[in-house]
Amino acid sequence: MIYIVTAENRRRFYHLLTEMHRQRKQVFIDQLKWRLEESAGLEIDAYDSEDAIYLIEAATPRGGISVSARLLPTNRPHLLSDQFRDLCGAGPPSGPNVWEATRFCPAPDTASGAPRRMLLGRIIAGIMETALLFGIDEVTYVASAALAPMAKAAGWQVRALGAGRGKGRDKIQAFAATIDADGLRRVRANFDISAPLTRFAPAEAARAA
Amino acid sequence: MPAGQVALDFIDFCEKQTDLLAIENRFVATLNALGFEHIACASHVDPLRPRPGAVSIVNYPMAWLQQYSAENFAYIDPVFLAARIMTAPFNWDECLSKMRLDRAQKRVLAEGAAYGLTGGITIPLRSPDVIPASCSLVAGADGVEPLDMAHTLMVVVYGHGAMHRRLNPNALVDPVVLPSRERQCLALAGQGKSDWAIGELLGINARTAHNSIERAKKRYGVSHRVQAVVRAVFDGQIMLDDLSN
Repeated sequence: MIYIVTAENRRRFYHLLTEMHRQRKQVFIDQLKWRLEESAGLEIDAYDSEDAIYLIEAATPRGGISVSARLLPTNRPHLLSDQFRDLCGAGPPSGPNVWEATRFCPAPDTASGAPRRMLLGRIIAGIMETALLFGIDEVTYVASAALAPMAKAAGWQVRALGAGRGKGRDKIQAFAATIDADGLRRVRANFDISAPLTRFAPAEAARAA
Repeated sequence: MPAGQVALDFIDFCEKQTDLLAIENRFVATLNALGFEHIACASHVDPLRPRPGAVSIVNYPMAWLQQYSAENFAYIDPVFLAARIMTAPFNWDECLSKMRLDRAQKRVLAEGAAYGLTGGITIPLRSPDVIPASCSLVAGADGVEPLDMAHTLMVVVYGHGAMHRRLNPNALVDPVVLPSRERQCLALAGQGKSDWAIGELLGINARTAHNSIERAKKRYGVSHRVQAVVRAVFDGQIMLDDLSN
């Protein structure tokens, strides 16, 4: 299942969050060679905060993670507004009903091809379920040349926000996806998902030390 | 209280407090508050036989420390080895998986794990002591907030420094500085050159070379030139490179 981790309930997900940052270090720094900061084996950037919403797929709150992603509110600084403004012809869509999805991170040992595409489909379904739960209309994201066609074909309705930057495999482009029930149904059908994937666990009462 | 405030309060406390024991207690309490249950902030020696003047805060389970001490694990502990090589904080799982460990070293990790010492992180520390030092932290059952990592590092580095200053109040007063002639002669002695050869290489009298090395020995308060070479390398007055021909 995909756990929805927010400021309200993140206290009970420290293990999963730490593991997610560890996987992000392995995937983005070790494998993809992105130039990001790491500390004690964790990749954490300026946009990681209590206000971010994390989607983490794992069997239990202490289990191994298969895939994770980060959702940022767009009424505060986020990547499209700060780092990738040039990717949006008319300025990035933003506001209380728009989220930005970043750091799509399949587990480092995920085989490429079908298994990776399946995880992308599941996380997109998770993003849509969460967005519907929170009343979000649109989700923006930046994708590489490899990821963009897969994300676009997932079943949600996607529009490009600009022509993109770079050439060939290095090309990156910004997109906005519409969040609606029809789109979610199509994504679920495409990826053989028969029931909601996400779980929103309430904050646990603090345990006595 | 937010972790940033916890860390700043700790630093403020260290600035004002002169009593070592009070700082030590606050150090442990602060790291506990950040979610860490087990703490070992010490030089890389037997934790039950700490060196005078060295920070030694260890709250690992006593049964483990006794076994660790009895079996001399400090010499082979893979976490210590990694901490000597790494320049930045590391987590055990990732770092140790890359090391080639022998059976005895794997046993140290496995037996420590039986006491709940798993999934830790280690912060290598610079210590003016001759023995390298580090601070290892193992989270409690609830885990730790990953966003607090930076504040945790701040507490550890600052706390270790504060405790070290209280233990060694005169460390900064009289550092040894070798004049360049003594440094040159000592470096060549470190390459195994005789007084005569040092004199030839530097174009000075063998007697002058000898006297320079004698003066360097005196500055370090040691009786043999090998000891002086080692001390000068440790101080950074001589680089290890200077010792290769």
